[in-house]
Amino acid sequence: MDQLKRTQLYETHLAAGATMVDFGGWEMPVQYPTGIVAEHLYTRHFCSLFDVSHMGRLLIEGKDRVAFLQHVLSSNVEGLDLYKAQYCILPDADGSAVDDAYLYRFEEDRLLLVVNAANTEKDLTHLNALLPGYDCSITDITADWASIAVQGPKSKELLTVLTGGEAPTEPMKNALNTTTLEGRPARIAKTGYTGEPLGYEVYIPSEHAAWLWNRLVELGARPAGLGARDTLRLEAGMPLYGHEMGKDPDGTPMPIFAVPLAKFAVSFSERKGDYVGRAALEKQSAAFKRIMNRDFSDRAALPRTIRPITLLDRGVMRAGMPVYRGEEQIGWVTSGTMVPYYKAEGEGLETVITDKVEKRAIGLCYIDSDVLEDDVVTVDIRGKRLKAVIPARHLDSMAPPYARPILYGYELTAPEEDSEPRPARALALLKRAEENHLWRQKRCINLIPSENTPSRAVQMLSASDPSCRYAEHKKVKSFYDREIFYYQGTGFIEEVERLAVQELREYFGCTEVETRVTSGQMANMCAFSALMDWKNRLDRKHTPQRLGYVMNNHIIKGGHLSAQPMGALHDYIAVDPVTERSAVVNFPVCRDNIFKIDVEETKKLIEQYRPELIIFGKSMVIHKEPVAQIRQFVDEQKIPTTIMYDMAHVLGIAGPYFQDPFAEGAEIVTGSTHKSFFGPQRGVVAVNYKEDELKYGLWETIETRAFPGSVSNHHLGTMLGLLMSAYEMNQFRHEYQSAIIRNAKSFARSLKKAGLAVCGDPAIDYTETHQVLVRVGYGEGAEIASRLEKNNIIVNYQATPDEEGFTASGALRMGVSEMTRFGFGEAEFEKLAQLIAACVLRNENVAEDVARLRADYTTMHYCFDGPEFDAALEGFMGKIGF
Amino acid sequence: MNFPAELQYSRSHEWIRMEDGVAVIGISDFAQSELGDVVFVNLPEVGDDTTAGEAFGDVESVKAVSDLVCPVTGTVCEVNEELLDSPEKLNEDCYGAWIIKVENITETEDLLNAAEYEAFTQEEG
Repeated sequence: MDQLKRTQLYETHLAAGATMVDFGGWEMPVQYPTGIVAEHLYTRHFCSLFDVSHMGRLLIEGKDRVAFLQHVLSSNVEGLDLYKAQYCILPDADGSAVDDAYLYRFEEDRLLLVVNAANTEKDLTHLNALLPGYDCSITDITADWASIAVQGPKSKELLTVLTGGEAPTEPMKNALNTTTLEGRPARIAKTGYTGEPLGYEVYIPSEHAAWLWNRLVELGARPAGLGARDTLRLEAGMPLYGHEMGKDPDGTPMPIFAVPLAKFAVSFSERKGDYVGRAALEKQSAAFKRIMNRDFSDRAALPRTIRPITLLDRGVMRAGMPVYRGEEQIGWVTSGTMVPYYKAEGEGLETVITDKVEKRAIGLCYIDSDVLEDDVVTVDIRGKRLKAVIPARHLDSMAPPYARPILYGYELTAPEEDSEPRPARALALLKRAEENHLWRQKRCINLIPSENTPSRAVQMLSASDPSCRYAEHKKVKSFYDREIFYYQGTGFIEEVERLAVQELREYFGCTEVETRVTSGQMANMCAFSALMDWKNRLDRKHTPQRLGYVMNNHIIKGGHLSAQPMGALHDYIAVDPVTERSAVVNFPVCRDNIFKIDVEETKKLIEQYRPELIIFGKSMVIHKEPVAQIRQFVDEQKIPTTIMYDMAHVLGIAGPYFQDPFAEGAEIVTGSTHKSFFGPQRGVVAVNYKEDELKYGLWETIETRAFPGSVSNHHLGTMLGLLMSAYEMNQFRHEYQSAIIRNAKSFARSLKKAGLAVCGDPAIDYTETHQVLVRVGYGEGAEIASRLEKNNIIVNYQATPDEEGFTASGALRMGVSEMTRFGFGEAEFEKLAQLIAACVLRNENVAEDVARLRADYTTMHYCFDGPEFDAALEGFMGKIGF
Repeated sequence: MNFPAELQYSRSHEWIRMEDGVAVIGISDFAQSELGDVVFVNLPEVGDDTTAGEAFGDVESVKAVSDLVCPVTGTVCEVNEELLDSPEKLNEDCYGAWIIKVENITETEDLLNAAEYEAFTQEEG
């Protein structure tokens, strides 16, 4: 037998006391002295290092590199952006896997394919046989670079020490970055084989491998061997070639679609042409779709699939053990062992991971594809038939920073059923509503930037009679576009709506306003629906085309949910045929200020993609959006597009103290009327098209997409409230808006002075809006926000642009609008900043101090007051019986 | 590696201690070290017969399963049920964590003393 190969870290493993084994021709550490269980657990709660330098690293370069890879890989290589990686499979002509691999695009013109160590020779032979006719080359660079997987909840923190503070990569899965680690060149991928939501694979020149390994150990990471790597990937449900891919225990090739990951790894893009295995994969895909729809009539192309399996009886499943349904063997266990986990206590965001270790016997199996989730099967464990079940998954990685075990059969604590008699329940509701109202209105300091308290007049009007009425109406051409109402008794509301439009036109300085949408999200859906309808208006004989490309702020970078494909764009955004993803292009952000759009980079993307819609606006917003600069650019470049600004958060500060969207060149402004604006909870769509313009037709489409497109009943009570709030806003706008900006900047300075880590640029006092962002420690946001709530301060926990998502939130988002309306000035925000610092930094109980501070500020400002208004309001309330 | 002198050892790496005609049986330090993390133990039931040189149960580590071989022929009179919930005791304290006790012993295989066993493990390792 040949001499076993050794990685650049061989001596390092020996020095650490590793047990070395032959793994695919490489002498590799299977475990270190602490053992597999400890290594597994340390990965899940801190950070482990895995030497993955043995994996085959193939560099593909040359003119036809993409065409070649499109032909030999299952994935859509054209959809792989620079600084992104993708999982892929090397299919054979029969639709089975030669290997599975990861494709990395660290460089514009080269691609790195990382394959399984044991398969490297086989893969090279397979690929080289397919290479003739393509002008590109494959170079095995396995020996030039070492590769270390750094996996676990602390991996990001440790690598950030070595980068000198820069995030190792963008927070999204499969992101890549080229950087230096304490001066040494490194390439980092946010990928891994452990199921950890925070995990990286670091490529580093061979001579620095031992340095990086030892440096990370110094910082607290621990080495883990192939044993733990296997239990971690098994728990994560990830396939291992030779077990879940390749041939089954009978020697029959397993179809690629048997692996659940295949649906992400296989593309049928027309641009891939007739690639290796395509015909077979298409048959498998068709069978997969039938099976997913529980049509088991034709499973020939996919008779068995890989599923997770959990043993219900006591024992341990191992690869190769037969699985039965009744007396019929339906397949085999493909991987199985006993896997440890830390027991969790509590539920939801209050979940606490304890240090108590438990174990569960889990595995993966290859079984008949008509087995359903929760089906009970038996496994033959050395002659004994033990009961097992097919669960949905063993582990979930969607709540970073931790990968969380999903225990079969776990049931959430059932809420207590109300068994009181109904009158008692009704009385309790009244009592509890009163308590809640008094707490939120008299004792709490509300800093949620998307909330505000409306004035008494707005509240009273919103609850008065039209709140139970209908007033559908639309313009009718036969009557010269007169609004025609479908209901009787609507004279008053007709007048109210007309006046609201008049006030809001004046507020925005624009030509037209649609007020019937009842939320900001609906305002966006109405606008998107209208844009799509307008796009297709000259061809009604085909299924309408969706919008694409659309430029927006990425949700991680603060973008509104209501401008994302997962939000209001969902039904209106096209799929990009090249990338096979939503045709959304995100604004790039400045490298030195991740809260701000990078205008020059944006211009390049606009030129490249020529988006038909550009949506400004964010929900985590501390800067103005570069509307004027982008307007000027698209006009100069004659790029036909629509510029929309979703002002939901900043609607109430539109104007000279923040920015004036229409003056800067926005065509459509949407928003909600209750965040920084004074209204009840509604939405609004405003446009600045004139009647003689072509795009005035888009405005008319917006009106029809409001009614009958979005609403039948447009909530008439709050329409009265909206009119009153528009009166208040137009009357007190300058005092209010200048106070908001002054208070926000001052609050930010005070928080900074009190010792908190305020986000943003100190040169502009951190913020240009009503929002202030404070970092409280990675993953600590929710806990700190909950602590503040117990101290009568209500804030949002917030993930910053370099964090993975809401459970990893390391910041607080606060807004000054509501307390400004209750009369807070710079001095009060200074006091509040000190209370927040005491609570956040020193864990002091400040609940009573907060309530006392709040108690002196319960009178609404920036609204109509004085004897005349008080008398009118009291009279109104008395007469209508409130 | 630790091989207490007061115990006897089998070539399949069990240890045995006689207490008033009852054989107390466990696995040796060498065995637990070779197995790695023990995650599950399959135990016989009280009253089961054992045969010298044949399996009476098995022990599962993360990576593999190994038979537990009985050095004596007899009847199981007690099993260490603590191991069902805490199999890791076999790693942590292999000489404290006995596995079964066997009575009515009719046959005992040829056992090694500590020194002989240590020499045997060195050949094996």
